[in-house]
Amino acid sequence: MSRAVVWLRPVFAAIAIALSGAMPAVAADRCATDALDRNVCLPAPARRVVSLSPGATELLYSAGAGDAVVAASAWSDYPPPARDLPRVGDANRLDLEAIVAARPDLIVAWTDGNSRSQLERLSDLGLTVFWLTPRTFDDIARAVVDLGQLTGHDALARDRANRFLAGLAALRDRYRNARPVRVFYQIWDEPLMTVNRDELISKSLALCGAVNVFADADRLVPRVSRESVLLARPEAILTAAPETDAERALAAWRAFPDLPAVAHDNLLVLPPDRLQRPTLRMLDGARDLCLRLEAARGRL
Amino acid sequence: MAVSDLLRPLLLLAALSLLALLASVSLGSADLSLGQTLQVLVGGGSDLDRTLILDLRLPRSLSAFATGGLLAVAGALMQVLLRNPLADPYVLGLSGGAAVGALLAMLAGAAGVLVSGSAFAGALLSTFLVFGLARATGAWTPARLLLTGVVIAAGWGAVMTLILATAPGRRLPGMLYWLMGDLSQSGRPWPALSVLVVACALLLPLGRTLNVLARGTAQAAVLGVAVRPLEWLVYLTASALTAVAVTTAGTVGFVGLIVPHMLRLALGSDQRLILPACALAGGTLLVVADMLARTVVAPEQLPVGVITALIGVPAFLFLLARSR
Amino acid sequence: MSLRADELVIDIPGRASGTPLSLAFNGGEVWGILGPNGVGKSTLLQTLIGLRPPRAGQVLLDDRPLPRVPRRTRAQRLGLVFQEHQDGFPATVLETTLAGRHPWASPWRMESADDLARARAALERLDVMPLADRQVHTLSGGERRRVGIATVLTQSPQVWLLDEPTNHLDLHHQVAVMGLIRSLAEEGRSVLMCLHDLNLAARWCDRILLLFPGGDACWGPARDMLVPAVLEGLYGQPLRSTELDGYPVFMPA
Repeated sequence: MSRAVVWLRPVFAAIAIALSGAMPAVAADRCATDALDRNVCLPAPARRVVSLSPGATELLYSAGAGDAVVAASAWSDYPPPARDLPRVGDANRLDLEAIVAARPDLIVAWTDGNSRSQLERLSDLGLTVFWLTPRTFDDIARAVVDLGQLTGHDALARDRANRFLAGLAALRDRYRNARPVRVFYQIWDEPLMTVNRDELISKSLALCGAVNVFADADRLVPRVSRESVLLARPEAILTAAPETDAERALAAWRAFPDLPAVAHDNLLVLPPDRLQRPTLRMLDGARDLCLRLEAARGRL
Repeated sequence: MAVSDLLRPLLLLAALSLLALLASVSLGSADLSLGQTLQVLVGGGSDLDRTLILDLRLPRSLSAFATGGLLAVAGALMQVLLRNPLADPYVLGLSGGAAVGALLAMLAGAAGVLVSGSAFAGALLSTFLVFGLARATGAWTPARLLLTGVVIAAGWGAVMTLILATAPGRRLPGMLYWLMGDLSQSGRPWPALSVLVVACALLLPLGRTLNVLARGTAQAAVLGVAVRPLEWLVYLTASALTAVAVTTAGTVGFVGLIVPHMLRLALGSDQRLILPACALAGGTLLVVADMLARTVVAPEQLPVGVITALIGVPAFLFLLARSR
Repeated sequence: MSLRADELVIDIPGRASGTPLSLAFNGGEVWGILGPNGVGKSTLLQTLIGLRPPRAGQVLLDDRPLPRVPRRTRAQRLGLVFQEHQDGFPATVLETTLAGRHPWASPWRMESADDLARARAALERLDVMPLADRQVHTLSGGERRRVGIATVLTQSPQVWLLDEPTNHLDLHHQVAVMGLIRSLAEEGRSVLMCLHDLNLAARWCDRILLLFPGGDACWGPARDMLVPAVLEGLYGQPLRSTELDGYPVFMPA
């Protein structure tokens, strides 16, 4: 009797291993790697998603998962249906209870806005958190694909991501040989802040054949003095501000009529959301930016 | 003063604490009836209810209680040490050191335990720095310790400003929120609670000696008090309590200054009563403040330090007016 | 039980040195310590009670050097009424007086009925009982002085050190305090007090210690020390004296 058992054991083991090897294909786990290099897997497409930043909300809708979003953080205002979503607090000040009460199977967080410590509390309670840090156009496209994968909209998300990248490539081609325009991009006026080449806005400028005069700065968002801007002699000065603030935003530069940007009337104000949020709308924003820069180029 | 005189106010404060904890656990941005809450507390309730109450609200309320108690006791000790009713736990620069530790960790992108650990290390560094400098300058008086501490605090303040001025924009909101005091990130309350309980147990036999110390160092010395060792013990204890509090919840202001003061106005100056009363009253105040901070404009969350000021200031002024 | 000074030289910053004091303060004696301002009377009292280290020599309590005597024992045997009272935190008169029982109390127990009775009796004796519940910082100079004395009375030490006990006190209370001191001596305790008033010293002290500006000192029975020739040298002030009821009385000339 014992002899038979000894002989059968390896056979059973082999069968078990063969079966377990077959398991993943049957269960179809949906996996993606998040910005913190963690492999996040869900047993089924997420049906209740909580988004913790306006950018994440947009990306979820872009990935086709708009119906699955059950709650979002404050300022999630695009697309318009997102405005009606129940709120769960704001960036660093999340209402953890509201998030838990929404019974999410996926939480999408933003490394640049949300507090790791607060989200660790949620992870400790067994909730799944997926972190995003889009720094390049490729990151944006990958985020859409990953969110599509996790929410069961793989094909749609992949399609949208590809079209996004194709549109950006087309812009790059169109303006490849255009005369470079020296641009100062003003993030904020008091104190004066701009961006270096690693910021998405700067990459958009590069697509349009513009040269960011502070591309080589050390910090991502350097604080600069007015003198350094004057020394750089930009041919156009851009900023993103709402319509109502347009006049005021760049008014201070008119005091320097010898500056090429002022002399050629190239003080440009653009709508903020399509330039500053790392979402698929950046393509529209980039197109608009390129057209405005083309007009500015004409005035030089 | 008989034992019953001590027990009566303490029992009252203990009852208030329990009431505050119950309220804090029952109220939140998710609507749960009192019945559902009680069900969970006795072991039943739905899974979601259990998670909300036992995993979110209860640890947070207990952390708030521990933090408030630690700060109030530390404040009472500092006031005795410096013989100054305007002293608070942060006056000797400890919170500055903790803040710099936490901000540096956040600047490096760390979170959770690393930030708390860094804050604690900063607090300890500041404590020993002031300790060492005050001893080295020779004849030690409360005025000297205060001056050393204030100068160190100013130094930390400058470092903090530098960090805030040069930090990348996306790190700033988190840093500012930590500086304002934030209980949402506190995990397990047991370390802070145990420190509070142990500290109160150790300080109780010292109560009478602290009363004598409060009469003045020369008077205490001739009455047999080992003044210098006691003062260092008080300083290190108050610093340890404050370090644990700041590590748990960031720099929550106001509690350490006002609670001991209010209790002295109401109950007199016997440290045997004031110290445990501070633990209970400080804890209660912070539990109530945190409860309000997370529910008043939910889902918006307010910084708890603002609420402690809004509650504390009118309450204090009322007591002050009545005591005239 | 005795307090002795053995070759004791007190530490006055800036002063070279002084006569070493070797004398015993025995039970039943009332010592007066006289000298001009700044000569070190307060310093001597603080050195004798262990608040300050001496420059040379030592203080012996029951033949043991003072630093070797445990603090608690020291506080049970020696008491000091300060010249200036520094009040730290607010407290009532009763609480301040009760602090005198600290050297006798155990940390784990509250004040006993006996402690309270002693404190109340002390306040009665010093005629400040009506002030028992007043905040101590609201008292007048004289009332605060009497509370200070009541505190040491509650402490009930064997040796009393008093630094100018009659300051701020009106005549009636001065006499009452002196009467208290006399009765302490009759109980067998020893008393040392710094005085400015020569007549009080003459009337109430058995033995006198004179401290001279350069650091010199001399001591002995009151009738030997309190003579114009010596006192004029001490104060740099011509004096005239007469006798009243067997006690010398002094007046500036």
